Amino acid sequence: MKSSLSQPLLALGATLLVASSATAAPQVDKTAVKAGTVITLTGESIPDGVIVIEGGRVTAVGAASEVQIPWDATVIDQPEMVAFPGFVEAHAARGIDRANETLDVAPFLDVKDSIDPVNFYFEEALRQGILTINVQQGNNTVIAGQGMVVKPFGMTVEQMMVKPRSGVKISAAPKGGKSRATQAQVLRGAFDELRLYLEDMVQRKKDGDDYDRREALYQGREVEGEAAKGKPLACSGWSVDGFERVPRGEVDEKREPLLRIVEGKLQVIMWCASPMDVHAALRVSEANGFTGNMTLALAPACWKASAKIKESGCSVILAGLEDEELDPITGESIETFVPKVFHDAGIPFALMSTADANRSLWYQAARCVANGIPRDDALAAVTTTPATILGLGDRVGKLAKGTDGHVVLFSGDPLDITSVVEHVILDGAHVYDRSKDVRVKQLFDGTRPPGTASDTSGEEEWPGDGDDPEDDDETENKG
Amino acid sequence: MLTSLLLSAALAASGTSAPADGTSWTIHADKVYTSTGKVHESALIVVDGGKIRAITPGVEAPRDVLKAAVVTAGMIDASARLNTGTSSVEQSSEVTPLVSAEFGVDVFSPGWGRLARAGVTSAFITPLNQNCIGGAGTVVKTAGDRSVKARTVEGAPMICGAIGSQPSQRNSSAFGRPTSFFNRRPTTRMGVEWEWRKSLFEAAQAKEPDAAQKVLLDALAGKVGVFVQAWATQDIRTAVFLKEEMAREGFGEMRLVIDAGAEAWREPAMLVRTNTAVVLPPVPAQGRTTDGSLMSVECARVLRDNGITFALSGHGASRLDLQAGLAMRGGITREQALRAVTLTPAQLLGVDGRVGSVEAGKDADLILWNGEPFEATTRPVGVLVGGHLALDPR
Repeated sequence: MKSSLSQPLLALGATLLVASSATAAPQVDKTAVKAGTVITLTGESIPDGVIVIEGGRVTAVGAASEVQIPWDATVIDQPEMVAFPGFVEAHAARGIDRANETLDVAPFLDVKDSIDPVNFYFEEALRQGILTINVQQGNNTVIAGQGMVVKPFGMTVEQMMVKPRSGVKISAAPKGGKSRATQAQVLRGAFDELRLYLEDMVQRKKDGDDYDRREALYQGREVEGEAAKGKPLACSGWSVDGFERVPRGEVDEKREPLLRIVEGKLQVIMWCASPMDVHAALRVSEANGFTGNMTLALAPACWKASAKIKESGCSVILAGLEDEELDPITGESIETFVPKVFHDAGIPFALMSTADANRSLWYQAARCVANGIPRDDALAAVTTTPATILGLGDRVGKLAKGTDGHVVLFSGDPLDITSVVEHVILDGAHVYDRSKDVRVKQLFDGTRPPGTASDTSGEEEWPGDGDDPEDDDETENKG
Repeated sequence: MLTSLLLSAALAASGTSAPADGTSWTIHADKVYTSTGKVHESALIVVDGGKIRAITPGVEAPRDVLKAAVVTAGMIDASARLNTGTSSVEQSSEVTPLVSAEFGVDVFSPGWGRLARAGVTSAFITPLNQNCIGGAGTVVKTAGDRSVKARTVEGAPMICGAIGSQPSQRNSSAFGRPTSFFNRRPTTRMGVEWEWRKSLFEAAQAKEPDAAQKVLLDALAGKVGVFVQAWATQDIRTAVFLKEEMAREGFGEMRLVIDAGAEAWREPAMLVRTNTAVVLPPVPAQGRTTDGSLMSVECARVLRDNGITFALSGHGASRLDLQAGLAMRGGITREQALRAVTLTPAQLLGVDGRVGSVEAGKDADLILWNGEPFEATTRPVGVLVGGHLALDPR
């Protein structure tokens, strides 16, 4: 019964958005997008611009008079529209099956195994012009699994993948049921445990015990070639004497992500719910040498720790624009526009969209403009800055030769309240066309998607609704 | 001559050297949208004693005045839902026409300041929707002297209620359970409708109507407006049919305002037929609102096209300027959106003699914007409520 219901719905979900499926359509090698304005985010906007995409990469951006469009390119010509590189979501615990893990410390997990390609979130992201998303586990954790950067299109996780192992979510704020002290203790303990484990490995090697090698073979891990080599520990926080004797392939895969973190090879996204969490976060990152590969994800109240954050050199991801606190004595509310604090302090900041579709990334950037942040800096916070945080600064968030072939065509300026996403070109393929988006049609004018239940395109007739001449007779009888 | 006279009056009244009571200012704006269809360019507005005294277009900005890119009238939230929590609902009966929201207003709530700083200068406060007929609503200024009396704007009397699932929520029949407060009618939509009809019929046919029934008689006669929450089209139908039925019975012509009419776009003809006005709820994230109704983004546009009077509302949780912007996204003009958050709600609530437009003689409820109103890239940078600076633009 359940499957007979869900199958047509799934099929509907898959067909709703797709103008030309990347899998079904023949490979589009060359695409040229002509637009009334091209916002490149690398400098001035280009009036009457052209973007040429070949093999999924941008090969030319410039004025129509200067750029040669290949003769065999598919041309998308929209002189009324504005071309934009697409927004970058620095951090989203969405599109996955259950955002939070019950285990306290689980860096060996990977959201790859829980991303749901047909989740409504990805469809909505495409509709909002968000073309790069760092999917991470939720904030209710101590050390969560590894995230993955994806694009919101594709029928499998592999098709969606932009960058695997994009970082580990760690929370300095207490997980449900823990106090801040317990949280800090478990967090410190995880790294202490790593160090003890590595020291034990060295001791076992000295003792001639090949337990770790046998365990690695038992788990089916690679222990030959590169994996058979040992290297000194490259952690600025602490050291383990003799660790170069341990072949790297023998390190338990459950601990290996933490080892990568302390060696600066794996990014950390550290969640802080209050200013005091920022201090706790920096204490543990400094002790374990990963401040340099850490980005802070901050609740609005954390603006109070901005001086400390500036000192640390970390970039930030802002979950929420406004902080309000009530003066404990007068009861007056004190409001702070958070991005302005970070902007004025010169701290690189990325914005996050909320679950409300009316407050997606474009809206977050627009509110920054409304509150006095220059437009270029506001746009950077939803494009180039998050791209840099994700290590994709040369690939997404701007339009230039060599970037991924992503273009969003807006009906007007991306920050205008009346602008909507009309088309999306992803890796050179035309994946979204608003005129064929039946869900957006229903949202705007109420028309039900064809084929769904109780299509009300025909007028319903109700006796006694006053619409018909007979109704009058009927009411007379009733009185 | 006249201009220079006004100007000198302006400068006399003006300035950053605020007078003793802090309700007299001079404001210069590149543009003033009056809500009555006029636009004054480069205008000077003189505020004296909390009232707008004069508007002089085509004047250079003098020094030491409040400056703004655009000035509009303060917004009026016709369904602010800012009050006093669930305890503002009188649950001793499902029909309580004598209850008044006025007595539940807490002027010390920080919510008022939040509304004021967001540009909402007046709000319609109603007994919430847990009763069929909840009681009288009241229009309250969001800033100024901290007393309900000082902040109340005397308007057309309104009796507020709800049709739909809310009044029956949490209620249950007495069967099989220990008796509790919630063992009461109504337990269904049908029951809600029945309570309404029963109350109105009983009032109309009472030989000696009691105080509550007298209120309902005034409502039936159109002397007291009937402000009914009805999200879904089936509930809007119920409200409209009730009005028509009462008229057919000869009880009178109710003045009906549908509150939270998310599905008003579905059957505009019935609203046109009965001359019913609509207050729209905030545009939801994904179309779906309370009571399973679907609010289309183009709802305001459909109402405009059909000539239906409509106002927008924020329900306390959402910025009203964003709602106006989203209505523009749905296809209405900035001028129409402005009217739907200023003059139209003022007229619906009968307070347009004092608020709702930028005209000499009206209350100095003004928003100073840093750009075109209702864009996501602009915001109120200054707000005056009765001449009091609720948000200082300087």
